Amino acid sequence: MAIMTYRQALNDTLGEELARDSNVVLMGEEIGKFQGSYRITEGLQSEFGKHRVVDTPIAEEGFVGLAVGAAMLGMRPIVEIMTINFILVAIDQIVNHASKIHYMFGGQVRVPLVIRTPSGGVGQLAATHSQSFENWFAYCPGLKVVAPATPYDVKGLMRSAVRDDDPVIFIESLALYDTKGEVPRDEDYTLPIGVAEVKRAGTDVTVVSYSRMTVVALQVAQNLAQEGISVEVVDLRSLRPLDRTTIIESVKKTNRAVVLEEDWYSYGIGAEIAATIQEGAFDYLDAPVLRVAGVEVPLPYAAKLSQASKPGAPDLIRAIKRVLEGGKQWPK
Amino acid sequence: MQDASPPPGHDLQYEHAALGLSDAQVLAALRGMIVARTVDDRLWLLSRQGKAHFVITSAGHEATQFGCAWAVQIGRDYVVPYYRDMALVLALGQTPRDIFLHALGKAEDPASGGRQMFGHFNSRALRIVSGSSSVGSHPLHAVGLAWAFRITKETDLAAMTFFGEGATSEGAWHEAMTIAGIHQLPVVFVCENNQYAISVPQAREVPVPDVATKAAGYGMPGMVVDGNDLFAVYAAAQAALARARAGGGPTLLECKTYRLRPHSNADDDRKYRRVEEVDAWRARDPITRLERYALHSELIDPAGLADIRTAVVAEVDVAIAEAERAPNPAIESLLHHLYGE
Repeated sequence: MAIMTYRQALNDTLGEELARDSNVVLMGEEIGKFQGSYRITEGLQSEFGKHRVVDTPIAEEGFVGLAVGAAMLGMRPIVEIMTINFILVAIDQIVNHASKIHYMFGGQVRVPLVIRTPSGGVGQLAATHSQSFENWFAYCPGLKVVAPATPYDVKGLMRSAVRDDDPVIFIESLALYDTKGEVPRDEDYTLPIGVAEVKRAGTDVTVVSYSRMTVVALQVAQNLAQEGISVEVVDLRSLRPLDRTTIIESVKKTNRAVVLEEDWYSYGIGAEIAATIQEGAFDYLDAPVLRVAGVEVPLPYAAKLSQASKPGAPDLIRAIKRVLEGGKQWPK
Repeated sequence: MQDASPPPGHDLQYEHAALGLSDAQVLAALRGMIVARTVDDRLWLLSRQGKAHFVITSAGHEATQFGCAWAVQIGRDYVVPYYRDMALVLALGQTPRDIFLHALGKAEDPASGGRQMFGHFNSRALRIVSGSSSVGSHPLHAVGLAWAFRITKETDLAAMTFFGEGATSEGAWHEAMTIAGIHQLPVVFVCENNQYAISVPQAREVPVPDVATKAAGYGMPGMVVDGNDLFAVYAAAQAALARARAGGGPTLLECKTYRLRPHSNADDDRKYRRVEEVDAWRARDPITRLERYALHSELIDPAGLADIRTAVVAEVDVAIAEAERAPNPAIESLLHHLYGE
């Protein structure tokens, strides 16, 4: 195992994939000379050249559409959208084209495309720099959506995403880029898309989360262990396909569940998880499934307002204690 | 490109021989255009019978589409059409049966196996690629395909994409033109300007009289041709494609034409077009003009033309009957192709 940051795991894997397959190209704004707004593509243009690591005009719909067309001919573009907030101007190309082309062409054409983008908030980046839209894409049949929480998972899932012949939305987290973790040195290491992981085993309550919220859940689980509360943490890793079995099996064991998500409360990922649990483990539940999510407001800039809008460890702890008490109240 | 003094007896810009076209090619195109119009006619009937749920017309655009198809290296150049291009895909080698299978959503529909709405034509063999219904979004794919030629290592080919003038208001179209211009990619952008975006006239959707003038902002030449003149379209399309294949970069080719029917079977064009205007364009029907040319040039006589029309109706009847008999997609296939198997 090597120890590296989430950012380094991304950078390493992108470099390896560029070296492994000459059809792989990186595209995006400021990814070349500038080396990426978050330095994910550092050093890659100088190593692989301007034709493999391509600076695009500020035209998200344009270069995502370009990538869709190129992918149809067998190129394997990895497109960086600077943050998920800006993906909205490209959403037609993703939802009306990339996700459907294989199906709408009756299987004649594949679209081996990866779109990687950071989601969620960090610091005081406010309303249009801090949103979580992964549920928009997880909603779409034809797409695959992954959202790793650790450098280990970043490497395995990015390798799988680049080698997948279907379009994959690769959700990163600004707040995790500097976090460190173990990464296998094995060159053949990959992780299957669509498989969740129990990142911490427990017996009293299941916390289901993904991306940065998995990291928060693991910290909370560690802290609550000192109070004698045993928390099991299920990290989804993939949002589509969703590994419903792992979620349901965990809840059947613990009989209680809380979903921790950074997106907005209504219509978020948590709603899908809660529905999955009641469909698959209703008779095992000792309390209602609770959701801990973002306050439904365009994220304000002022530090205290911003902090009050985001879900965090104290909210999760309150929810866990509530379900352990039987859960008569809703958190909102 | 308009010739002020066309040769007497017809109003097309060129004599076919001057463009290197044989008599047989002209007659084949004439027949093909009649087939396309007849298929179009019958689609509307199938719609009224409740058999084809959605129909969208190419009537009036045949010279533009056949002229461009003549210039395409079929099966080599990529063609990225829009929903108006039924005559185009017939010219490229799809058959009336293919069109009806597509319109009726049959299992053997070559576009998609009954998955795609009518008007979204696909054929891997013919390199016809069409995606969603969001207007103006597909020229980006032509640009992406052309950009990917460097990995397929194919040379001497181009991508040709088609759209109406309304699409040129879309951001995606602007981005496609921008990227093609930046990289000087081998793409020919064909605007089939029929002067209406459904009901909105050109003056309310395009701020300039000629769409082709927009090309200047993207580092490529723009050309305007009479889109109802098969030979004029062919000459311009041939020049643009040849330039693209030779590494000379993209072109915006505007073909001025007119849609002779409502936009689709969900439209009533009497609400926004005067009968006199439609009649004036009927007089300039591209098929009538080519027939006049063929008669004048003695490529065919009136009896020969009548024979063609009779034979085409019989051929189209057979195609419809076959398509109607063809099996529907199996329910079990519903999820096939959602992801790679």
